[in-house]
Amino acid sequence: MKTFRTILKTECKLSLRGMDMFIFAIFMPVTIFILLGIIYKDNPAFDGAGYTFMDQSFGAVSTIAICAGGVMGLPLVVSDYRKKHILKRFQVTPASPILILAVQLTIYALYSFASLILVYSVGVIFFGLHLKGSLLIYLATYLLVMISMFSIGLLVGGIAPDIKAAGAAASILYFPMIIFSGAPLPYEIMPVVLQKFSDFMPLTQGIKLLKAAALGSPAKELFLPVLFMGATAFLCIALTLRFFRWE
Amino acid sequence: MEFVIKAEKLTKSYGSLIALDQFDLSVGRGEIWGLLGANGAGKSTAVECIIGTRKADYGTTAILGMDPQKDRKKVFERVGVQFQENSYQDKIRVSELCETTVSLYKNPKDPKLLLHQFGLSDKLNAMVSELSGGQKQRLFLVLALIPGPEVIFLDELTTGLDVRARRDVWNRILDLKENGLTVVLTSHFMDEVEMLCDKIMILKNGITVFRGTVPEAISDSPCTKLEDAYFYFTEGRSHNENV
Repeated sequence: MKTFRTILKTECKLSLRGMDMFIFAIFMPVTIFILLGIIYKDNPAFDGAGYTFMDQSFGAVSTIAICAGGVMGLPLVVSDYRKKHILKRFQVTPASPILILAVQLTIYALYSFASLILVYSVGVIFFGLHLKGSLLIYLATYLLVMISMFSIGLLVGGIAPDIKAAGAAASILYFPMIIFSGAPLPYEIMPVVLQKFSDFMPLTQGIKLLKAAALGSPAKELFLPVLFMGATAFLCIALTLRFFRWE
Repeated sequence: MEFVIKAEKLTKSYGSLIALDQFDLSVGRGEIWGLLGANGAGKSTAVECIIGTRKADYGTTAILGMDPQKDRKKVFERVGVQFQENSYQDKIRVSELCETTVSLYKNPKDPKLLLHQFGLSDKLNAMVSELSGGQKQRLFLVLALIPGPEVIFLDELTTGLDVRARRDVWNRILDLKENGLTVVLTSHFMDEVEMLCDKIMILKNGITVFRGTVPEAISDSPCTKLEDAYFYFTEGRSHNENV
């Protein structure tokens, strides 16, 4: 535990010194949310909706940090540490791969929660955001989305042969997911074809769950997304542990 | 005699290139062994196969009686390694690198004392990336010594050090040997090898062409100096006999 805390402290400092995660995981989501707020004010999501556009968008925007950290930051840092032979140096110490990965997971989880709190606070203070569902269910769902997205990032970082491959894979996963899942551009206003395509992305399923949790929708048709996210997480984590490489 | 390191018939090839061929090594406690050979002769491969960061195609290895791949955590609680290339996170400070390294071990040594012994006391708050080559080299030696190891592997220990720093590092290693530290090092410097090593092995294209003490290396060749003997063993005997 002492080992974990010490490494976490150092890696947090290093990550903050790097600044990029601060920009992509903290600054960007709240900026997007403020822009949406300025544009849509307290308009309803659609004519006759019982909730505002901002209520509907909150779920999607709150996942931007998860996506930036888990699918972009996580694989890049792990493959960078492998390329620089930092993992190899850990290999000749009593450190376990799980320790190294757990530290990085914790860092990106901290970013995500910080972003969630920031976006939520800004929403409540300035744009009349109102969570109709239970906060606890929302947090649990957020955690599930995080686990499944991070597991994808871990898999990419864990097995990518080099940082270029990791970067390419991360971009291929990150940009379509962030664009089509409804984070910046609401899923509801997309053409049906695009919606169908977007449904295959775990993030889209995650955002559906979060929207349902935020808007307090009844739990019907939620079983499939939960199963989908859980299966993604399980598969990716199993593959990561099986194929983890120090070098 | 109990061997601290015991490698038998380690063989490793990359494609059709045989990097290491039936490499044997038995090191007793408190001994310093040097691996010599040209770049690409198999020194680093030998070290990596012994410590298990590379899997040998054939052969066995044991450090302190344990398999370094199966018992990795137990082995590296008591074994220090300095790799040829120094690897560290971007934007990390000396103090942070020491602190994280300390946190990995059950009974670590005080890094401040080690930094002092290697002339790095004033670098505690410096960025590792801002250190000179020689300072980095000494820092990574400090990191390898933090576990208070019984065995240490040093891949090109003093490459990049100035004459004074080299001498200081040698003296530290000899002090530690007095206290029972076992050392396997690779080197390109004959003076270093003569100064430190009880036994040497000379590798050529992965094959062990000489094993023994420095005086034996000289007496087994028609030469009078270790460097000449080294060329005699690595560049073909006929060539040197004509000189």
